[in-house]
Amino acid sequence: MNKILNLEKYCLMSFPILVVDDDTEDHMIIQEYFEDANYKDSIKFVMNGLEAINYLESEKQGVLPRLIIMDLNMPIMNGTQTLVTIKRDAELKNIPVIIYSTSENETEKRKTLSLGALDYVVKPLSFEEGAKVVSKFLSYLERN
Amino acid sequence: MKEIVCVRLENEMDLILAHKRAMRLAELSGLSLITQTSIATAISEIARCAIEYGKNAELRLDIDLTPQKRFLKAVISDSIDFTPRCKDALHYAERLVSSVQVQSTPKGTMITLKHKLNASTPLTEATLTSFADYFKLEPPLSPYDELRRKNLLLQQLAEKLMEKEKDFRLLTDSLPLMMFSSNSRGQITYSNKWVLDFLGVAPKEINGIGWKAFIHPDEFVNFSRNLNDGIAKQIPATGQYRLKEKSTGNYLWHIVSLFPIKNEKSEITLWIGFLVDINAQRTIGQTLRDNDILKGVQEKLFENEGELREKIVELNRSNYELEQFAHLASHDLQEPLRKMFFYSDSLLRKYSIHLDEPGRKLIRSMRMAAGRMKDLIRDLLSYSQLQQQKILFEEVDMNEMFQKVFEELELVIQEKNAVIQKENFPSIHGNQIRLHQLFVNLVGNALKYSKPETPPVIMITSTVSSKTITINVRDNGIGFDEKYKEQIFDLFERLHTKDQFPGTGIGLSVCKKIAELHHGQISATSELGSYSEFEVILPLEQNIEP
Repeated sequence: MNKILNLEKYCLMSFPILVVDDDTEDHMIIQEYFEDANYKDSIKFVMNGLEAINYLESEKQGVLPRLIIMDLNMPIMNGTQTLVTIKRDAELKNIPVIIYSTSENETEKRKTLSLGALDYVVKPLSFEEGAKVVSKFLSYLERN
Repeated sequence: MKEIVCVRLENEMDLILAHKRAMRLAELSGLSLITQTSIATAISEIARCAIEYGKNAELRLDIDLTPQKRFLKAVISDSIDFTPRCKDALHYAERLVSSVQVQSTPKGTMITLKHKLNASTPLTEATLTSFADYFKLEPPLSPYDELRRKNLLLQQLAEKLMEKEKDFRLLTDSLPLMMFSSNSRGQITYSNKWVLDFLGVAPKEINGIGWKAFIHPDEFVNFSRNLNDGIAKQIPATGQYRLKEKSTGNYLWHIVSLFPIKNEKSEITLWIGFLVDINAQRTIGQTLRDNDILKGVQEKLFENEGELREKIVELNRSNYELEQFAHLASHDLQEPLRKMFFYSDSLLRKYSIHLDEPGRKLIRSMRMAAGRMKDLIRDLLSYSQLQQQKILFEEVDMNEMFQKVFEELELVIQEKNAVIQKENFPSIHGNQIRLHQLFVNLVGNALKYSKPETPPVIMITSTVSSKTITINVRDNGIGFDEKYKEQIFDLFERLHTKDQFPGTGIGLSVCKKIAELHHGQISATSELGSYSEFEVILPLEQNIEP
């Protein structure tokens, strides 16, 4: 029932996003990307996997994010562990997770994709690149 | 001191009679057959002389019964002295009987031969009288009978001698050592069976050949010296020498001992030699010594092995730590770098209107510097990862690998209108990812270091031998001075500035490392302004155990 309510709430370019990253600078950078893409809704920033899970648990009664952008290297609970936890949860497993990492390691990429991540993006070096990636995902989510 | 019997010495017959009576008296006195013969022979010899050279010689036989001094006595006397012509006979007699005395008086010469009697034989005055009677009643001499009797006697003696000799031989042959005897001139007169068996020659032959043929050349000098010393000083000579065994030809260690046997006059008449095989002991001695040395070496080896193993563990740990460090360092370094990129980018984006062109150029320069740092980190990381302990080998399709290399470099190839000619390659046993890295670097360099207005032409050829494949990557680019052909593979070595050509100076060291990881090698040749050629030699197969 809640879910139906939630769906009604959504309109174009407006759905909550959860960003999981221990680097606060990256929070700001991501914020800029989304602003550039005309994103109007709220972005929730958490510092690690544990905070992410806690937030998601609490939002099960409220509004769950429609996209999770997650870094891999975090303290307390890293990206991989969090990904596994999310995908095990019946209510959370359908939320698309994009892994957003500094590592270009092929093995790492393959592993996260096999664990259920939607995509694996290497943290871009230019604003242009970053903005491109973000708008790509937003349009994907729009369609789905 | 009774005269038991007398014989006049005039002719041959008398000689026979003298001999016969001497034998008989000796027999009656309880002496052995051999002793009887000796005495009789001694007496005969002197008697013969007397008959030949004397005038009117006479033989008197009797027995001296002085207590503690019982002798059989033979006195040959003559009015003249014939002894000068009797030297040999006298010498001979001396060897056969206890004592020989010559007395010369104006009345004539007296030769007294005495031989000790056995203490056990009971002899009294009465016995002697009976002896005298015996001789009185003796039947007259018949030459024929006498000869026959003598012959029989000789035969008996010969048989006895043979028996004794057989006994002697049996004894000496059964002794487990080689025995021989030689006369004072060093000629071997007797040797037991073992000598024959070992040396493989009869004693006569040894006399002819000499010892040199049987003794090891290294020891012969010592042997001769010892022997001559012994002979000169008349003392035993002993030493250890190697003797040649006839049947095998091997030289075996023996103790060779020579003992002189002296007669009553202290002259050496005989040498007795013993040869004892000590080869086993000497060999064991040497083997034990060798064993000890070997044990020492073995222990040292063990120690070294242990140390080596420790060092390997240490090295592996150190390697692992280094890799971890490189990984972490590069990762941690990448974060600030990324921020630098982003912020400089933001600066350009948001504040370019507030900046003039020089200002914007500064920011661009900053971004390029950050870019170089990024490449460095990437290449360093790549290089450090090659230190991995386990590199897995599999079958690599080289044609496929090169295809992927060309795909990765597609943009540059198109940009420069490059032409790449490649032969067909066989598959080799190697690591796909690393080989890709190697050739991406080589082909990438070939593209990078091209002449400004000339499209690069790259030729990739190979030669296959039974165990290796040699791959050549040749370009028509700017080339380099061959004096640097080894240096270029060093870490961080660059022959150009970053303004001329981009690069981190790590690429070729990575190539070299990869070639070495495959147990191969890489080298370069070039002509400045004309071409560069890189040659990679790789084994076709990698062993499971590196």
